[in-house]
Amino acid sequence: MIAELGTLEQSRARYPDDEGYVERDGVRVFYEVYGDAPTTFLLFPPSPISHSRLWKAQIPYLSRHFRVVAFDPRGNGRSDRPTSAEAYGWWEFVADGRAVLEASGAQEALVGGLCDGGGWALMLAASDPAAVLGVAAIAPFVPRLTPSHPNYRLYPSDVPLDTDEGWAKCNVHHYRRDYQGFLEFFFSQQLPEPHSTKQIEDCVRWGLEGGAESLILADEEAPPPWASAEEARDICRRVRCPVLVIHGDLDNCQTRERATAVAELTGGTLVTLEGAGHLPQARHPVKVNGLFREFGESVAPPAPKVKTWTRALSRRRRALYVSSPIGLGHARRDVAIAKELRQLHPDLEIDWLAQHPVTTVLEAEGERIHPASALLANESGHIESESAEHDLHAFQAIRRMDEILVANFMLFLDVVREENYDLWIGDEAWEVDYFLHENPELKSAAYVWLTDFVGWLPMDDGGEHEEFLTTDYNAEMIEHIARFPRIRDRAVFVGNPDDVVPNSFGNGLPGIRDWTEQHYDFSGYVTGFEPVADREKLRDELGYRPGERVCIVTVGGSGVGGELLRRVIDAYPQAKALLPELRMIVVAGPRIDPGSLPQQDGLEIHAYVHELYRHLAACDLGVVQGGLTTAMELTANRRPFLYFPLRHHFEQSFHVHHRLERYGAGRRMDFETDGPAEIAAAIAEEIGREVDYAPVETDGAARAAALIAELL
Amino acid sequence: MSVAADVREQSRARYPDEEGYVERDGVRVFYEVYGDGEPTILLLPTWALIHSRHWKLQIPWLARHCRVVTFDGRGNGRSDRPHGAEAYTIREFAADTLAVMDATATERAVLVGVSCAALWGVVLAAEHPERVAGAAFIGSAVPLAPPLPERTVYPFDERLDTDDGWAKYNLHHWLTDYRNFLEFFIGKCFTEPHSTKPIEDAIGWAHETTPEVLADHDAGIDLPIGGDFRELCRRVRCPVLVMHGDEDALHSHARGVALAEATGGQLVTLEGSGHFPQARDPVMINLLLREFVERLP
Repeated sequence: MIAELGTLEQSRARYPDDEGYVERDGVRVFYEVYGDAPTTFLLFPPSPISHSRLWKAQIPYLSRHFRVVAFDPRGNGRSDRPTSAEAYGWWEFVADGRAVLEASGAQEALVGGLCDGGGWALMLAASDPAAVLGVAAIAPFVPRLTPSHPNYRLYPSDVPLDTDEGWAKCNVHHYRRDYQGFLEFFFSQQLPEPHSTKQIEDCVRWGLEGGAESLILADEEAPPPWASAEEARDICRRVRCPVLVIHGDLDNCQTRERATAVAELTGGTLVTLEGAGHLPQARHPVKVNGLFREFGESVAPPAPKVKTWTRALSRRRRALYVSSPIGLGHARRDVAIAKELRQLHPDLEIDWLAQHPVTTVLEAEGERIHPASALLANESGHIESESAEHDLHAFQAIRRMDEILVANFMLFLDVVREENYDLWIGDEAWEVDYFLHENPELKSAAYVWLTDFVGWLPMDDGGEHEEFLTTDYNAEMIEHIARFPRIRDRAVFVGNPDDVVPNSFGNGLPGIRDWTEQHYDFSGYVTGFEPVADREKLRDELGYRPGERVCIVTVGGSGVGGELLRRVIDAYPQAKALLPELRMIVVAGPRIDPGSLPQQDGLEIHAYVHELYRHLAACDLGVVQGGLTTAMELTANRRPFLYFPLRHHFEQSFHVHHRLERYGAGRRMDFETDGPAEIAAAIAEEIGREVDYAPVETDGAARAAALIAELL
Repeated sequence: MSVAADVREQSRARYPDEEGYVERDGVRVFYEVYGDGEPTILLLPTWALIHSRHWKLQIPWLARHCRVVTFDGRGNGRSDRPHGAEAYTIREFAADTLAVMDATATERAVLVGVSCAALWGVVLAAEHPERVAGAAFIGSAVPLAPPLPERTVYPFDERLDTDDGWAKYNLHHWLTDYRNFLEFFIGKCFTEPHSTKPIEDAIGWAHETTPEVLADHDAGIDLPIGGDFRELCRRVRCPVLVMHGDEDALHSHARGVALAEATGGQLVTLEGSGHFPQARDPVMINLLLREFVERLP
């Protein structure tokens, strides 16, 4: 199932404020500390089959409300891998947790754990009650408390088997033969929810960091903490603090009986998650985060703070606009839509939950940026970290943004719970759309979804596996919409039906065009500006002299464009030789340092050009990436342009390309094959060419706003 | 605006499981008990203008989650109407509360009160911490911030040559045209538009007592309590929730702010709300009360 496992850790939504090691009997255990709230929340790791990243969907959120301390188990992550079985005894992990707590400077803490870690959390509470305020345990493993899960009783785990089918993989000899094969099987069982590919990949990757021997020592060879069910019950009974037990009814590791017994013996509360497996913190992070916070605050109530509740009829009309920060493109169209919306509802107040570089546009427009925006995890930085030379695997980059998406959804949720908004607008706000469909009970305002493309599409070189993944993502989205049509009160496609690609969502799924026409309203394209009426006058204003042939080279707001800029700069001398009247202006944009680009005689390089769209409207040729916004600005102004879709960028390669074909706009170039000579020749051929593009409508913002305004 | 006071009580959503009287110095006070959950919420009486039915929108729901005890303050409802200011002091109301708690075997309760109920509520929380698990106050009539200026223009006891506005808050006007006073005063309680029904309710309850009782109660509240009220507030150790409408036309929002500050409590500002939000915005008040009760240590 897993095609390739990159070794590089994906961007985190939140990095630790402090980190360090504790050492016990020569074994070093690595820990991290996040936030500085008064109450500490210690997160036990699972067994060495995984490590502290298992909590990645919890840490960013919890650290805004608690001080979070997480650590890697001995045997995985950045902790040591001792080689004796004794070093993996259960009380050793408990003592590690205690030592980490102390090293972090906390006297007492709420303690969370999953599976083995849930057992360790309970053991700490039983053995050191003064240190534990409360225990939140997901699928806690308390050995011998109840019979183990039937899956583990199918095959012996320590003798060679003549099969490695299914649960026979849970065997020491198989671990040593094919640990990855075991991990892939095991975690697909522990994440039985459909559409869990990313969570399974994560778990397999983390498991491989530990390796088979750690797991064998911990699971098979370490001395058991106690010998009888009675001793296990006794440990539970000795827990006096409040206890929350969370258990998925499809758990393939810990039984419902065991979870029930833990709750009963500790006097705790059992929350059953129906349809959930063994790892709900990964697959149902929003629910688990809410349960953890609610539990933590019931045990250690936060300091009172002044609150306001406003009577319904005293409320101002308010909207929260969540604008995707990936590229600058959405900012201008969202501002245009917001302006039109205020025309229709003059009393409407709009707050923006947005981050750089969108905020640069919003600030310039005097829009109100919600202060919580400062807490958003950085999406642009993540996208840049995922890119290589003119290469961005957009689909995988979005998948590998899962932690950031959860964190930013949780922030959105905190904001809309504190304040009353009548309407939420998400322009490709993937986190809002996805997690509202995953947690439909959280919808408490009208909600509008905007996008300019529909459908994840595999790249040709991604093979069957990528096709499987995009199909799976599309299938989940289609199921979401079919099951919860009430979530999107409006779905607005920024474009026209003909702009929708003719592809299929994947094997067994509908065609994208048909489905989109059934499930979306179409606003037409939204440029965010008026088309230029008098181009000669504009050229004059911008300082372009008659007879000059102006070529503007830009990669928009993206930081993933330095290579293209360099390639075009290299083409400049040849182009200039072919076309002496050429004036080339390179715009580095807000996320590329112009000093990092090579200089050529006669070439102009700028960091930033105010109202770049006006220059694009006035130029004789644009040279751009394959992003929709810039290409459409050129199309709307009927300028010739060369565009270079990023490698592995499905949206630029398919969706944008399809749309530009429809307009008859632009000349598609190929970064693989087009070198400086080809680029220079294309510049000379295209510059100043009269174009016959299909016209771009100018009422898109007004149409989008009219669709939205009905909800207010 | 004018409606005939309907003497027949309308159907209740929930009838008490138990009711009875306590008697102190010959004065009988009527109480009701609903439900049997934990903890007990004691819904306090307020000014004798109205009686325990002012909690009618809270009782049925709270009683499904907690045990609810409420009683008619002396001077209205099914309680006696003694004469003289001494019968209506803050301490008498506090003592009635303890007597009702004893009679209903309530060792400890969360106190909830509207308007001047905060006066006896604070006394109880400060002086009987073992019996008060928490206290929640709405539209608190506490002397921690100055009264609204318009309420200080006219004397209460003197005959006036006007009955304009707050001039109606005058003994002679009460005795001459009680109904006219009620329509003005209760109208001020509900600054929110579309409040006809809660206004009618309150006017009806107010007709179950007399202007003489209200005058005694006002005078009783003004008698010294043997200490500084602000000092008492500082002695409160239990969790405190203060809810106050920012359009409260009887007691300024500043009074709620000051009460929260003095007791170390949590302030919830109710934007657009008047003096009696428990009647006008019952859902939010119920949710705030339940959340407060559930978070008590």
